[in-house]
Amino acid sequence: MGAPDHNDISPSDTVVDLIGVCKTYRQKQRSAKLSEVFRTMLRPQIRQVEALREITMQVGRGEVLAYAGPNGAGKSTTIKLLSGLLAPDAGTVRVLGLDPIRHRTQYVRRIGVVFGQRTELWWDQPIAASFEWKRVVWDVPRPRYERMLGLLKELLGLDELFHSLARELSLGQKMRADLGMALLHEPEILFLDEPTLGLDVLAKRDILRFITDLNREQRITVVVTSHDMSDLEQLAGRIVLIHKGRIAFDGSWERLRREFTDQRRLLLEIAGGPPPILTAATLVSNEAGRCEYVFDAGHKSIAALLAEAAAQVEILDVETHRAAIDDVIADIYERWQQDGTRSHEGGLAKTSAP
Amino acid sequence: MQLWQVHGAMDVRWMLRDIRTLLTFVIADSLSSIASASAIFLLAERFGAIGRWRADQIVFMLAYAMVVSGLPYLFFNYNVSYISRRVGRGQWDHTLIQPNPIWMSLLTEGFSPFSAIMAVLPGLALLAWAIPRAAPPLTLGWLALLLLNLSASVIIALAFSFLWGSLAFWAPRAAEELNLSTWKLLDQLKQFPLDGLGALLTGGLLTIVPSGFLAWYPCRTLLNIDTRPAGPMVTPLAAGVTALLATWVFRRGMKQYGRTGSQRYLSFGHRR
Amino acid sequence: MRSPILVTSHYVRTAAMATTSVVGDSPLFLVDYLLRFARVAVLLSLWRIILADKGPVSGMTLSAVLTYTLISEIFAEQLACRANMEMTLWEGTIAVRSLQPMSLVGQLAAEMAGRWLLGLILVSAPLLLSAGLWGVDARPATAAAGALFVLSMALSISVGLALEMLFGALVVALQESIWLVQQLRNAITTVLSGALLPLALLPWGLGGVFAWLPFASQASAPLRIYTNTGDAAQLLAIQAGWSLLLWPMAHWFWQANREKLTAYGG
Repeated sequence: MGAPDHNDISPSDTVVDLIGVCKTYRQKQRSAKLSEVFRTMLRPQIRQVEALREITMQVGRGEVLAYAGPNGAGKSTTIKLLSGLLAPDAGTVRVLGLDPIRHRTQYVRRIGVVFGQRTELWWDQPIAASFEWKRVVWDVPRPRYERMLGLLKELLGLDELFHSLARELSLGQKMRADLGMALLHEPEILFLDEPTLGLDVLAKRDILRFITDLNREQRITVVVTSHDMSDLEQLAGRIVLIHKGRIAFDGSWERLRREFTDQRRLLLEIAGGPPPILTAATLVSNEAGRCEYVFDAGHKSIAALLAEAAAQVEILDVETHRAAIDDVIADIYERWQQDGTRSHEGGLAKTSAP
Repeated sequence: MQLWQVHGAMDVRWMLRDIRTLLTFVIADSLSSIASASAIFLLAERFGAIGRWRADQIVFMLAYAMVVSGLPYLFFNYNVSYISRRVGRGQWDHTLIQPNPIWMSLLTEGFSPFSAIMAVLPGLALLAWAIPRAAPPLTLGWLALLLLNLSASVIIALAFSFLWGSLAFWAPRAAEELNLSTWKLLDQLKQFPLDGLGALLTGGLLTIVPSGFLAWYPCRTLLNIDTRPAGPMVTPLAAGVTALLATWVFRRGMKQYGRTGSQRYLSFGHRR
Repeated sequence: MRSPILVTSHYVRTAAMATTSVVGDSPLFLVDYLLRFARVAVLLSLWRIILADKGPVSGMTLSAVLTYTLISEIFAEQLACRANMEMTLWEGTIAVRSLQPMSLVGQLAAEMAGRWLLGLILVSAPLLLSAGLWGVDARPATAAAGALFVLSMALSISVGLALEMLFGALVVALQESIWLVQQLRNAITTVLSGALLPLALLPWGLGGVFAWLPFASQASAPLRIYTNTGDAAQLLAIQAGWSLLLWPMAHWFWQANREKLTAYGG
């Protein structure tokens, strides 16, 4: 599905509205030496960490937003702010028109939250008991509960797990059950913090397929964080990249590739002889006449490279591939590490205040 | 009521999952409850009296203490009464994402009427045995005072726990197990008759560490060992004051939590 | 073959880590220590009330009981000897410990000793030095009693550690809640160890029976030796006997439950 640029979201369609949000943490620094332990306890050194700086962002109804960044970028902080678990130091957070902190009990009835490293299930109880508990605590009317339960059992394959103790489930099964529990009350928006963490390929695929179907059929807005970029690319039409507390990119995956790097791989099968030397392309492997090159399609076209190669050798076959999104993101993170904040605050941030 | 019902049902299910677990819990809880009072009981038996307290009055006091220990466990299990663990381990978010006022969640989530019953029953049984022997003539008014004081003692214990446990909002790692220490403090000191301690120490055990209100002081007044007119109302009054103080500190802690959140998460003890 | 000094340094470093972990980043760890001061104050007053105007009871004078109580609190952590085996199993870190080039018992003992250090400095030493203010004579009954007390403490720690390992093995063998086993253990040792009440002062001759149990070897034995209210030779022999019996039991129990341990504790 095409990713709506955030500027296309009309106010009435906006479900998440962050304006100038800032959040700073204070961390005590401790010494490992026994002799300094009491000193640092009584007069601790404090390190200020700016988790979020002037974050301004809107999410439209029915969107699936991928929210990514390197470790420590501020992703989980943002999710906690949106879930009402944390208050911003500055700026405003509005979700579904409500202040998540001030209107907490009213607000959490309309959202669902799943943290990949935590479970809401009762450990020594069957899944059925946890779901029943959810029904009572969230005050879900019985007919609605039965309807949703039937739907979720079918979509998430919960029938086989329903009477098992949570402690006896695998990670993937627990995640399915947690997702089901988060959706039981038909939330309007779903926050997922690393939902595929630790899952095997099959479990991941099932979860991603479920979320995509849910978004398409129920128009539930989804904000998802993950380190798994290929998962996010499958799931979301729009990506927000956050770096050192600021939004470094906000747009579609296509634009991300175009603006940061359009790395491609070129595979040439040659008749024989040494591999051709191509300008603006790096040879990465050469085995039994198959030469693989990496190049930036933004700087050199495939046609130009083929022409160069054909002038040197006889070409039997050609393949081109886009770089995997994980590689693209890894390159971006590496560049950030090397350049610091300079390279991104200036030219690449596309988020302007609405 | 619905919340209590659902938690009660989960508790039954949990207890009955396994015969061995059921028996082990029943025995362990009973033994623990009895052992907590045994030291002073044995002393009273050996010496016939401790200060102004006859042996049967000591038994009454110990039974009272056992009930006061058991009730928080029955109503505020799952680390609700050990709030420093919930907050310190970063588990407070689980409560915040529930669509109920905090007080309602805390009042209902820990309800364990079956798994914790053996923490209360021995005390109740002993109390029933001791009342005809140690108490003044039984009247409805006296029973009402007993219930009032029992509730007040439990409130004081919980309020003390929340007062100190709230420190976990500011220092989650350091204060995670603080409630283990505060409950130990109360449990170990509540079983002693405190007559004859100096004014300073007695005052401290009725204020800073209010273990004196968990058995000794209310029992003195109920058994007419202390015959001052307002005696039986002092413990309820102290409960009111402690509860207000604890609520104030807890609210401040919640505000702090809203600013800082929690950087740690440990799942130990969460819904287990 | 590594030098003993090098090997010792591993345990010393481990102990130091445990000490700094207790301190943490806030003074709240002091609350536990405050409890100990409060407890000893209440107990000393209680004994003065109970034994006032009474002569020696079961061979114990008021002065001896007060000394017993104070020394019991001064060495409370050593007499209880809790190596946190249950927490290690609860947290699942036992598997990680098995990957370290130190014996499991050694690691736990080193960490236990590290945790003791602050208590000795902040509670034990002040209590000992202020004994006169509490109105208690903290000196051993005789010089020989003092010397034998040191030996008895060593045996007490040995018995305590062995019991710690046994209870840990019980948790694994029964696959039961650690909390449950802890509750049972606390319930048993409250009265049986003699740390809180001298066993000699229990009614119905219970003290005489409990004195033969291993829990009494942890606390009652060294305290009775210190206050010269028991036959030192007999008490030391009982402690040594339990030590010799419990360690092989603990070793056998752990070996027998090794596979369950892998599933339970990691």
